[in-house]
Amino acid sequence: MTWRQALIAAGAVPAAFVPAASTGYADLENSDASAAGAADIVEGTELQVYPVPERSAARIPGDVSFLDGMQRWNVSVYDGVAPIVQAYIAAAVQRRDAHGIPRTTHERSRDFVIAPVDAMHPARREALVANCPDLELIPADRVGQPAQFLETVEASVRRARARLERELAEVCSESLVGDAWLVVDGLLSLSPKVARHARVLGVIKSHGQQFLEGRGLERALTLPAAHRTSVFVVRGGHTRTEVYSWYLRLWPWEGNDLLYGLVRVEARAHADVVARAAEISAWLLAERAPLATPDARWDRLLYPLHHVEEYLKSRAPRNLRLQRTSRLPKTGS
Amino acid sequence: MTTPIGRVVATELKPATPHQFHFWTATETSVGIGAIVKVEMAGRIVYGVVTDGFAYSDLASPLHDVVGAEGDPARATEAPTARQEIRYWTAAVLRQIPEEPLQPVPLGQVYVADDADVAQALRMDGFLYSETPTAIPIGLYTSAGRDAPVYLDADFLLGPEAAHLNISGMSGLATKTSAVEFLLASIFAHFPKHKGRVAAVCFNVKGPDLCFLDQQGVLSDEDRRRYERLAVPATPFARVRMYAPLKADGVNLNTLRTHPDLVSDVEPLTWGLQEVVDYAEVLLNRDDIDAKADAFIDFLRDRVLGRTFDDGFGETHRVQTFADLDRLFRSIFDGLEIMSGGRSDTWRTHHIATIRKVRNRLSNISTRCKGLVTDDGPSSDLPWGKFEDRAVYVIDVANVDPLGQDLVFARIVSMLREHLERRDLGVDAVVVFVDELNKYAPGDGPETYVKKMLLDISERGRYLGLVLFGAEQFRSQVHRRVVGNAGTQVFGRMDLDELATPGYQVLSPATKSKLATLPIGELMVRHPHFTQPIFIRFPKPPVLRGRDGVERFPPAADVPFQDAVVRQLARLDRRVRPNQVKDLIADREEYDVRRALAAVRRARPDDVFAYFRKVLGSRIAADEPVPLEHQVVPPLNPISDEPY
Repeated sequence: MTWRQALIAAGAVPAAFVPAASTGYADLENSDASAAGAADIVEGTELQVYPVPERSAARIPGDVSFLDGMQRWNVSVYDGVAPIVQAYIAAAVQRRDAHGIPRTTHERSRDFVIAPVDAMHPARREALVANCPDLELIPADRVGQPAQFLETVEASVRRARARLERELAEVCSESLVGDAWLVVDGLLSLSPKVARHARVLGVIKSHGQQFLEGRGLERALTLPAAHRTSVFVVRGGHTRTEVYSWYLRLWPWEGNDLLYGLVRVEARAHADVVARAAEISAWLLAERAPLATPDARWDRLLYPLHHVEEYLKSRAPRNLRLQRTSRLPKTGS
Repeated sequence: MTTPIGRVVATELKPATPHQFHFWTATETSVGIGAIVKVEMAGRIVYGVVTDGFAYSDLASPLHDVVGAEGDPARATEAPTARQEIRYWTAAVLRQIPEEPLQPVPLGQVYVADDADVAQALRMDGFLYSETPTAIPIGLYTSAGRDAPVYLDADFLLGPEAAHLNISGMSGLATKTSAVEFLLASIFAHFPKHKGRVAAVCFNVKGPDLCFLDQQGVLSDEDRRRYERLAVPATPFARVRMYAPLKADGVNLNTLRTHPDLVSDVEPLTWGLQEVVDYAEVLLNRDDIDAKADAFIDFLRDRVLGRTFDDGFGETHRVQTFADLDRLFRSIFDGLEIMSGGRSDTWRTHHIATIRKVRNRLSNISTRCKGLVTDDGPSSDLPWGKFEDRAVYVIDVANVDPLGQDLVFARIVSMLREHLERRDLGVDAVVVFVDELNKYAPGDGPETYVKKMLLDISERGRYLGLVLFGAEQFRSQVHRRVVGNAGTQVFGRMDLDELATPGYQVLSPATKSKLATLPIGELMVRHPHFTQPIFIRFPKPPVLRGRDGVERFPPAADVPFQDAVVRQLARLDRRVRPNQVKDLIADREEYDVRRALAAVRRARPDDVFAYFRKVLGSRIAADEPVPLEHQVVPPLNPISDEPY
């Protein structure tokens, strides 16, 4: 008997709720909106715009791995008004072979339950604890406010996924040999070990937090296609490590919006990065092709990262995959 | 268990069914159109043959590729990451184990079939591993990197369950003749003992195609390996009996196998009135055979030929030859003119116009088919009743007038049928190979005797052991019952226009494409045991190809009459001295010499020259009259419009 069946047998009400944030398309997971701190320019004295060498001039490393993760969760049953959530997180690393085909080298996943056990009926709590091998507890104080409670769940899942990605990134970065590189989808600064690696890059496609202001911000957000900004430093804090960063425009934004085709690159805080920023930008620009369609974020999503994402989605549990089923009332069960 | 090469996938739009399934493989795979695969899951094994293949990537729109390459095709290859691709295959189910209950193919892993799987998939296990195996190798299944022998069931190839084989394909590229030659070699090597003796009769209708079946051809090491794999000896046919009509001079053979080293093996094929008259219908066109002419021919056949016959004008005739028949006609015309003063225009109830018409047509036969039909001499024929086991009888009619080809064809096949019915041919089964079925059994056109006869073989031959191996370029233009009754269908490279005809609608577009580009030596086979067509490769036949044969053994020029006579006598007896013969025939009429020569051929005496001199000394006596109840070929059933 699964934990869900045990709960329902104990009187819980079945549910099927897929939150919008769980679809993987809202891109909340990589948002650095909560990041604090400002940027200091480390390449020149003020933020400049530099053209990136043409794609044909790009020097693409021969050995590159890409890391991405995914999360899915839904409210599986209700105990009174307390939602019991099934969550699934996964991360994988795919290494591009000599033929340009990504092959999976590292993979981790976790299928777990998030529940406010303190707010649960004793019998159902007992049933859940007895049948669920991976249970993550969550404070019960916001159970009475379902919308707020789901935000807490969402943050909890996101944290778990970030932790999984960080662990995998650390394992993978340790195994990099020679000229091998690792490109991570998202913030690099969350892991000191990864953030200090010479051949690991973070590619951030969400721009909740701006590190620049005034003319510098304007220059960054109006970058022409195939241009980058000067390198600036993203200060560290109690949860992040200091890294160097710059903006790079992959596709012309005119006719779309300011963030169209705009990515922010993170690399270790080292003078060498400033020297190689142009070269790395040319490489990332070359990664525009093939397009990561049909993903809606294709203008900022590198195809190999999209490939990892598709791989992870295909391996997600069936009951957590996106369902376009009817939400008509379920009767009789 | 071997490594899986694919996995069955099913969607709502493309589900797996009991007769078809879809699977994907790695981009690099040995699977291709025609490959046999196995799906194994939960106690069920399904064998299938790949009938179609697809490849696509995750590219949502072609425009996205243009954008990615920035409009420059040269840059399209610069993308550092290869798009996710799929190789997606459609397979038709060959067999399910267990067969009942018949269920959709399980969504399991896919494996390449090995030799044992191929035998199972094609249901060959039943006749390959039985106590009395009836397996005849036809080639090797070589798809997916395998090399498995494929067998036909002799009970379904040579009767009695089913029979006949039809092979079609483009001239020169489909290797139809080569395929039949190999299959005959295979039949001779593997024809089951319990089924008796078998022989083949091949009509050579074009060039030197079948003239060198007894000569070793050049084989590659790969061919020899295939022969070994199929357990067929890579040697030419051990017993080949060549027959060819004579040319108009009556002594030179009308064949391309006239090289001095080989011509001695060629038997002349000549027929007289007696042999021809039963097949008058073949030689006379529809307009000729009205009821009156038909009645008069019957009268001649029943009352005149081989009998002592009084013409009613005071003369007695014994009609054995065309010359005798002409004398009878002249006697009748003279009698009507003289005795009745030209007032009577009927003789024995037959109108003189009918008699004149029949006389003209019959006289015309010996003119048009001179060399094959002699108007004076006795016949030289196939060894009816003495057919040898595993022998090939080649009848070379390539240079014979089409009318003569029809006659040869009709008479030989009818005689085969007659002897097989009486079980006195010498063998239990005969394979008759006829090329150019488009010509002899067209789907449209007049109902000729030859077409009726081919239909008769197709529909009833399997009970007798009379098996038709037919070949043609355009299957769609051959009579549908001739084609439809062939239990085994073989296809070489096909013309695209032909593949567009309705008869090929059951084939997938990919299979048609493969058929249109089949390399030499590869064939597609349909057989009653195979639920789907199978592609096979066969080795080059172990015999000298006609074209190569003519190069190695160039035909000799026609020799003068005297030399030709010497050659024919020397073939029968090497002691014959040319000058002796030439001296003997120097002052003789050619007419008499030909008759004497025919007599020697028929008698096969120990001392050929002595016998020749003896029979040449006087007019050759007519043959002993054939008993009146001569062996008339039973009439064929009329052609009906029933579908096969």
